[in-house]
Amino acid sequence: MSELMPTTVPDDMAVKGGKKVLWIVPESLAIEPLVADIGRTFTLESESKGKSVATWYDTFDWRLYRRNLHLYADLSGWHLMRSDTGDPVAWLQGISPEEVEFVRHFPASRIRSVLEPILAVRRLLPLFTEETTMHAYRILNSDNKTVARLLFEEHHYQGSGSGLRTVSLHGVRGYDSAFRRMSRFIDGRGMGNPVDGLAVFREGARTGGRIPLDYSSRFRIDLRPEMSVRQAMIAIYRELLETMHRNEPGVLDDLDTEHLHDFRVAIRRTRSGLGQMKDALPAAITGRFRRGFAWLGEITGPTRDLDVYLLHEKRHADRLPERLQVGLLPFFAELRDRRTIEQNRLVKQIASDRYRKIISAWHEYLHSGMSGSETGYSARPIIDAAREIIYRRFGKVIREGKAVGPLSPPEKLHRLRIRCKKLRYLLEFYASLFAREDSDQAIRQLKRLQDNLGDFNDLTVQQAMLRQYLDTLRPGSRKNQETAASLGGLLTGLYHEQQRVRQEFDERFREFARPANAGLYGKLAGKQKRSAGSGLREENG
Amino acid sequence: MSVIAVYNIKGGVGKTATAVNLSYLAAADGEKTLLCDMDPQGSSSYYFRIRSDKKFNAEKLLKGGKHIDRSIRGTDFPNLDLLPADFSYRNMDIALDDMKKSRQRIRRIIKPLRSEYKRVFLDCPPNITLLSENIFHAADCILVPLIPTTLSLLALRQLYGFLDEIGEKRSKVLVFFSMVEKRKKMHWDMMRELIKEKECLPALIPFLADIEKMGLFRRPVNAMLPNSVAAGAYADLWRELKKRLERQ
Repeated sequence: MSELMPTTVPDDMAVKGGKKVLWIVPESLAIEPLVADIGRTFTLESESKGKSVATWYDTFDWRLYRRNLHLYADLSGWHLMRSDTGDPVAWLQGISPEEVEFVRHFPASRIRSVLEPILAVRRLLPLFTEETTMHAYRILNSDNKTVARLLFEEHHYQGSGSGLRTVSLHGVRGYDSAFRRMSRFIDGRGMGNPVDGLAVFREGARTGGRIPLDYSSRFRIDLRPEMSVRQAMIAIYRELLETMHRNEPGVLDDLDTEHLHDFRVAIRRTRSGLGQMKDALPAAITGRFRRGFAWLGEITGPTRDLDVYLLHEKRHADRLPERLQVGLLPFFAELRDRRTIEQNRLVKQIASDRYRKIISAWHEYLHSGMSGSETGYSARPIIDAAREIIYRRFGKVIREGKAVGPLSPPEKLHRLRIRCKKLRYLLEFYASLFAREDSDQAIRQLKRLQDNLGDFNDLTVQQAMLRQYLDTLRPGSRKNQETAASLGGLLTGLYHEQQRVRQEFDERFREFARPANAGLYGKLAGKQKRSAGSGLREENG
Repeated sequence: MSVIAVYNIKGGVGKTATAVNLSYLAAADGEKTLLCDMDPQGSSSYYFRIRSDKKFNAEKLLKGGKHIDRSIRGTDFPNLDLLPADFSYRNMDIALDDMKKSRQRIRRIIKPLRSEYKRVFLDCPPNITLLSENIFHAADCILVPLIPTTLSLLALRQLYGFLDEIGEKRSKVLVFFSMVEKRKKMHWDMMRELIKEKECLPALIPFLADIEKMGLFRRPVNAMLPNSVAAGAYADLWRELKKRLERQ
């Protein structure tokens, strides 16, 4: 499967000869006569029987599935395994499913150390619970040596009323001919084609209303170059609205901070599209929804800002000597209280008529097929418009970046950051119109610059907020004194880090502005490499 | 990863029972394990009901690579594979003698297996030959079952002499007592004597009928009678050995 990332699990213990075939037993076929049938041709010995109940987990955006991992919990504990081979990766006893919502709830263990970098801040969501009845048999040779195993399983997915019966054949290394004979035998018993090892998982996920990889935080849309600007933008906005819809329940239930993050990014991308491609839609529509989405940006901002702070809690604490760390506790406690208030406010806003009206009107406009007549700009092929605007935005970033000197105020960097963000959204919107490696490279290079500018901005905002909080602290109490000392220490740390980030900017920007990158944007714009480079030089000269 | 050679110059000291049960226990711990039956008698192979491929022989073994890969068989137990012995192994020294780097051959053929297996056990034939020298170079640990008798002490001294001769460290050797008859005063006396001369693993394997029954059931004692005294003794021995291996 191409969308699966290489496994992050050490692969040094590669499995050899562990062949396996899995069939789904058709409803018309009874198991007992099949077993009897096999028993007449092969020496079959019952090995074990059992029942189990297991709940399977992943994050909303399939972080485990993407990395070839399965995680489930049963009475014996938590099990992490490779999804393709079923090989165990880690096992943790004694922690019940109720105790774990995030990876930090696992005690220090192999499971935690493998999962921590993968799951990060995402919540583990139960996908489905299955009850499995299994009966395992050994296939023996004349020495009574096991040469293969047969496993019959009946899976019932809780709460769905549906299930699946499977039979799988497991080979033993060095006994390939026995495996082949058995496999042919079962194939000839009306079993249908073998399925891959993930079939049972997929069916379970389906009963829970999910399809593996049905959500990703990455924006990806396939546009055709000949689409009109309006058609293309409508397709993009639909995709973004879908992202908002998908994340809305998670935002309302406050499942994890990524739901709001993705929700907000979709809002920002929509706003950016409406702003940068304002003539794509009729002026009245653009105007109405720019206002609407500006409001959506406003109502989602405060909670997200506080999330960013709270996600940095540990990093902030680590910046301080141990003695000063305790002083941060009241500060973060207050942030948490404020976040609760802002989150409640956000939930109310999302439940409001105003919100519903904006979203449903937008949905209606995008799906009505009555987007109005296309004239001029909105009727142009998207490829032309995309080339033009990306090249223009790139030129702007270069011009403004070159104007940043060692003494420039932070506002200048802030403006450049916004410019970069606009360019980034355009590159992502239109990525499918260009050669994959070109758009990937453009995004990668821009991201390096954006990371620097983003860090600089975050550090500015954080310092401002700390100073503001410091102003509200009344002197006198011992507790406030401690907090003030901690915040002072933190401010110093942030200041130094910002200096460092600021110094790095020159290097990052030089990298971004180098001729090869200008050539890349020239290529994206469909211009000759040389003329693109010289055009920029003129512009910047 | 570690290569453990179960070795004694003397025969009938419980080498095969040790190799079979310890490799089973390692695999049961979730460690991918390979047991190489190096003894032409093929007792380990017999215990696991595995016959070698008709095309496999000493020469193929010494060629290594795909010849070994093709000959490895899965046992009835998870994580445990076995490379069965062939009767042609009785002429291993002759085959080795004809080869270049004849002292490092086994070490070289085991090397690629290190990426697949966490533990490789070698069940060795009882003698001191070119094959033994090969095995001592290849092994990270030479595990010696010792029946507490005077002759065993002699055999151990011979082993040390040989290791000195071929330039291998004596520290590779780990000794434990095997087939101990607790009723025999002589066994106790000898054990006290031996401990003075060489540090021995604290776990000991008593002389027990259950271990002999392995030949009847053709399964490791720990799989056949997991709650028996014999199984407990091997489990203790594996725990001790594992601790030592991890320290190495």
